[in-house]
Amino acid sequence: MRIGVARFPLGKPNWPSSVPRPPVKRRTGVDYDTEWARTPAARLARAVIVDDVLRPALHVIASPTVHGADRLVGLEAPAIFVANHHSHLDTSVLLTSLPERFRHKAIVAAAADYFFTSRTKGAMSALTIGAIPMERTKVGRRSADLAAELLGDGWNLIMFPEGGRSPDGWGRAFRGGAAYLSLRCGRPVVPLYIEGTGRLWRRGKSWPKIAGKGEGVHLVFGAPMWPEEGEDARRLAARVEKAVAALADEWATDWWTARQRAAAGTTPALTGPSGGAWRRAWALDADASSRTGRRSWP
Amino acid sequence: MRALQFQRNLPRYAAAKVAGGVVPGFGARVGPLRLADVDEPALPGPGWQRIRPRLAGICGSDLSTIDGKSSRYFEPIVSFPFVPGHEIVADADAGRVVVEPVLGCLARGIEPLCSFCAAGLTGNCQNLALGQLEPGLQTGYCCDTGGGWSTAMVAHESQLHAVPDAMSDEAAVMVEPAACAVHAARRPGLDQPATVVVLGAGTVGLCTIAAVRRHLRPGTLIASAKHPEQRTLARELGADTVVEPGEVRRAVRRMSRSPMVGAGVGDGAEVVFDCVGSAASIDDALAIVRPRGQIVLVGMPGRVSVDLTGLWHKEISLVGAYAYGREAASPAAGGRAGERTFDLAFDLVADADLGRLVSAAYALDRYRDAIDHAANAGPRGAVKVVFDLRGEKNR
Amino acid sequence: MSRPGFVLEVDRSTPPILFHHGEGFRLEKLPPGSRVVYPAEPVAPLKDPDGAIRHALLNPVGDSQPLPSLLHAGMKLTIAMDNQAVPLPPMQKPDNRQRVIEIVLDMAAAAGVDDVELIVAHGLHRRQTEPELRHMLGDRIYDAFAPHGMLTQHDAEDHDNLVLVGRTEQGEHVELNKRAVTSDLLIYVNVNLVAMDGGHKSTMTGISSYRSLKHHHNVTGMQHSRSFMDPPNSELHNSTWRMGRLLAGAVKIFQIETTLNTDTFPSQFSFLQKREWEWSARDRASFLATSKSLEHVPPRIARSIFHGIKSPQRMTSVQAGEVEAVHALTLQNLHRQHLVPVEGQADVLTMGLPYLGPYNVNSILNPLLVMCLGLGYFFNLYRGKPLVRKGGVVIMSHPTRWEFHPVHHPSYIDFFEQVLAETTDPIEIEKKFEESFATDPWYIHLYRNSYAYHGVHAFYMWYWGAHALQHVGQVIIVGGEPRAVRRMGFKPASTLRDALEMAEDVVGRNPSITHIHNPPIFLADVT
Repeated sequence: MRIGVARFPLGKPNWPSSVPRPPVKRRTGVDYDTEWARTPAARLARAVIVDDVLRPALHVIASPTVHGADRLVGLEAPAIFVANHHSHLDTSVLLTSLPERFRHKAIVAAAADYFFTSRTKGAMSALTIGAIPMERTKVGRRSADLAAELLGDGWNLIMFPEGGRSPDGWGRAFRGGAAYLSLRCGRPVVPLYIEGTGRLWRRGKSWPKIAGKGEGVHLVFGAPMWPEEGEDARRLAARVEKAVAALADEWATDWWTARQRAAAGTTPALTGPSGGAWRRAWALDADASSRTGRRSWP
Repeated sequence: MRALQFQRNLPRYAAAKVAGGVVPGFGARVGPLRLADVDEPALPGPGWQRIRPRLAGICGSDLSTIDGKSSRYFEPIVSFPFVPGHEIVADADAGRVVVEPVLGCLARGIEPLCSFCAAGLTGNCQNLALGQLEPGLQTGYCCDTGGGWSTAMVAHESQLHAVPDAMSDEAAVMVEPAACAVHAARRPGLDQPATVVVLGAGTVGLCTIAAVRRHLRPGTLIASAKHPEQRTLARELGADTVVEPGEVRRAVRRMSRSPMVGAGVGDGAEVVFDCVGSAASIDDALAIVRPRGQIVLVGMPGRVSVDLTGLWHKEISLVGAYAYGREAASPAAGGRAGERTFDLAFDLVADADLGRLVSAAYALDRYRDAIDHAANAGPRGAVKVVFDLRGEKNR
Repeated sequence: MSRPGFVLEVDRSTPPILFHHGEGFRLEKLPPGSRVVYPAEPVAPLKDPDGAIRHALLNPVGDSQPLPSLLHAGMKLTIAMDNQAVPLPPMQKPDNRQRVIEIVLDMAAAAGVDDVELIVAHGLHRRQTEPELRHMLGDRIYDAFAPHGMLTQHDAEDHDNLVLVGRTEQGEHVELNKRAVTSDLLIYVNVNLVAMDGGHKSTMTGISSYRSLKHHHNVTGMQHSRSFMDPPNSELHNSTWRMGRLLAGAVKIFQIETTLNTDTFPSQFSFLQKREWEWSARDRASFLATSKSLEHVPPRIARSIFHGIKSPQRMTSVQAGEVEAVHALTLQNLHRQHLVPVEGQADVLTMGLPYLGPYNVNSILNPLLVMCLGLGYFFNLYRGKPLVRKGGVVIMSHPTRWEFHPVHHPSYIDFFEQVLAETTDPIEIEKKFEESFATDPWYIHLYRNSYAYHGVHAFYMWYWGAHALQHVGQVIIVGGEPRAVRRMGFKPASTLRDALEMAEDVVGRNPSITHIHNPPIFLADVT
């Protein structure tokens, strides 16, 4: 018995319980159709949002600094941009920091179970950042097909292969989705390391804090990576993860040290030390303090 | 007699100050200088005789008087109306003479002589308003003696120096400026300093270059000169390097191979002769002289505004060099004690052929052209402009 | 496919020809019958430069092993590189040097090499500022090496860190940077903009001392370098080759040379490197807009605009291995872009000089540099014989302002004011003044601690034009500041027409005229 709602015919009729319901066409989650967000009008709107709203806003909140953009010189679109993931800021920081030829034709693989739970949320995500729904746990057929098709159409894809934001400031193992798409479409993966977004807006906080002087975030672009002969998605994903770890090392120390450690196989892993939660937190802090010391040069 | 006379006439003096400030030499047209027939001056006393100028130079100090720019310092030691002209070669009773124009105790009949005159340092005599003459620091600024810019004047026997027959009038008229230069070159009391700079290459500057080359004998002599003819002459008279005024600091820096400290040279010239006497040239001098060095002001400075911090910090000596008299024994050039500056100047004029510095001669009638030429000597490629009185009718 | 260079015969229908004129341009109508040498269009760049670099390092030429097998843990590795005098204008990021050195260092890291030092081989040039180094090498290399003192700039006056390797049979001192000479491997990374660069000249000028340079940077040597753009006929190169061979016997050298195409200016200046009759409406509009607006901005601003230009030049080849084998290949690749055949010499050679030469990146092209650019570089852009006959006239177009960068070129000011005031004869200048400038402690201080060219560098500018001064009868500068032009012993003219009339007094009536059309640069093969 519903109270306060008009009865049929003013209200909705009841479905006779004896008549089987037809299967509901789900229109949220992975089934949300984002095609409209790639029409010229929506792209124009998004370009305005990205360049005139997100960029200035992020400049205030996160004041991002880009390193290694010269590594993308000569790279033709489309490409798959892959980064570590600490914060909701990551997507916008990355999107607004991409060179212009990539920025305005980019889509973001967003967790279907988070960004597309309602149609409004989905529409917002699709419009503002060009999100497409993607399963976190496995490479679903539908989302993979969509991503591959869009890559084929010349869209750049932004992915966070850790499958979600870091719960404790350390990274998690990379999943194979990006590598799989790279192999399937023959497009390069551009590894990226994003530093500092976790400090400003880490998982569990409802609002970001504004970066003070010297607290801005840093993005380090890596050299584009092409699948090697006979490489499978798992190995490519592992290589990409190593590349991102090497970029993190490059940011924390310097390029030459990072290259030496990468060559020697001693690059510190993004996943941090194993052991109890406090040890991981402890190591994170130790790292941060040594870092500020180094950046004081000159 | 015909004479160019400078009268006390305040409105004309003011007009000259304005006009001369705009166009150098223009004071001659509007100022208190006029060409007149006047009585020949009377003989003031014993030892005086009448002489008839042959050539009389136009000096920088004459020009600043004409343009109303000279300092009020001179007010008590000049007397009006006077006939300018103190660079004089003239016919005297015993033949051609050059006049040593300072009017010291001897000429004024003052007994006993002041200590300076007694020592022969007539240029330093301060009894310039006393004795039998009206005030006047030199012939050419005194109403009783007349001056070189006329056909007749009087001179005391102590003022006269006979001109050797071999010396032309043109060379002889340069003896007085040369004497100033010799005196300046002897002023530092040094011999063979490493680096010497002479700022300015007008008559005074060029004569100073010649005098410094012979009496101070520096290792390197740098001169600054604005105009091409001046540069050539400076080099001929003994400068090793001649630069434009704006380049002098860098040139001294390079010669001394020392660092630049701000706009100044760290270890610059031992002696700088400033033959310009402007604030800018004194500034340059302070920048290029080495610590404990000397700046000799040869050009008449007047009232200038200069930052003396460097003088204090670098312990610089700033000395003046005026006129002549007798020179102290100098180690340079094997000088004997007590030589008269004018005797040295005669040698210098002959040795350096300073007669070539006389660029133009004018009759008294064309005095405006003459003064205009003299006031713009540099740009017009000239050095010394003189009045030629040998052809005047009333001599 | 880029079109080769060619020689245009001017007739009445030929449009006016573009002359560079400092921070501006002039369109000049050349008399009918004049010839204009047009350079080749930019050749196609390498598609995958990084891949090409890797390939070159793994497949070296001459008597050299692949780079990875020369690298081993515990070794002392030094990487020297050309300074920002090349390329011109500075290229858009990433610079060839950054690309090459990153890959070299990657290999060194893989081999476990720890002791690496990078040396900017700027010889007697000024030190580069941090932004200039960052532009040239990229932030990654700079941040990794500079803070630890492992990115250094060669100091030719740091006598504790120079070492005399030996003397050649001709008695030439080979004195070089100690770190480079005492390394287990010296890698030299070059950018070969013109045929003068590269080979043994790289090390012999870049990391040597005044004592060493004196043997080839002198008037007689330059007068016998005909031209210094043609190594086989250049005394400059003969000497550096002798000295370089001595060095090669003392230290293992791995040379990496790169060439560029001549895509010199970015698209807003594309009219600069097009043939005038092919200017589109857009080119004409941008020419008019640019030259008109440049007329109305003060020179200081125009200069900062021009010095902000980064060139889109791209790598056309890379070769690595033994110095001489590498350089032979480099020259081939360079000639592919640069050579233009020209028949016969002219009575008059005209040229428009730009705002930039090798020695004034982010600085002022002062009158001495104008002389060096015109009579040094442009005049010598020939193989065989000069474009102008003996006793002919060179007409250059440049504002030639009496203006010097006080920080970068202090000794130039003194040279111009004090030396040229006395004489313009290179031999006399060398004899009378060189020593005192070269050893002046103040210039040495500024060279080592400030951003100044070495005291003697101003002399090299004059020597660079010594061959031309000996060869030509008169030099005329169109549109130059008369005082500055005369100081150098040249004649000022206000228009090209006046200049040509003045030239007739020297070479006779109706002279033959050849014009060097630049940018970009080329090498005339004169027969």
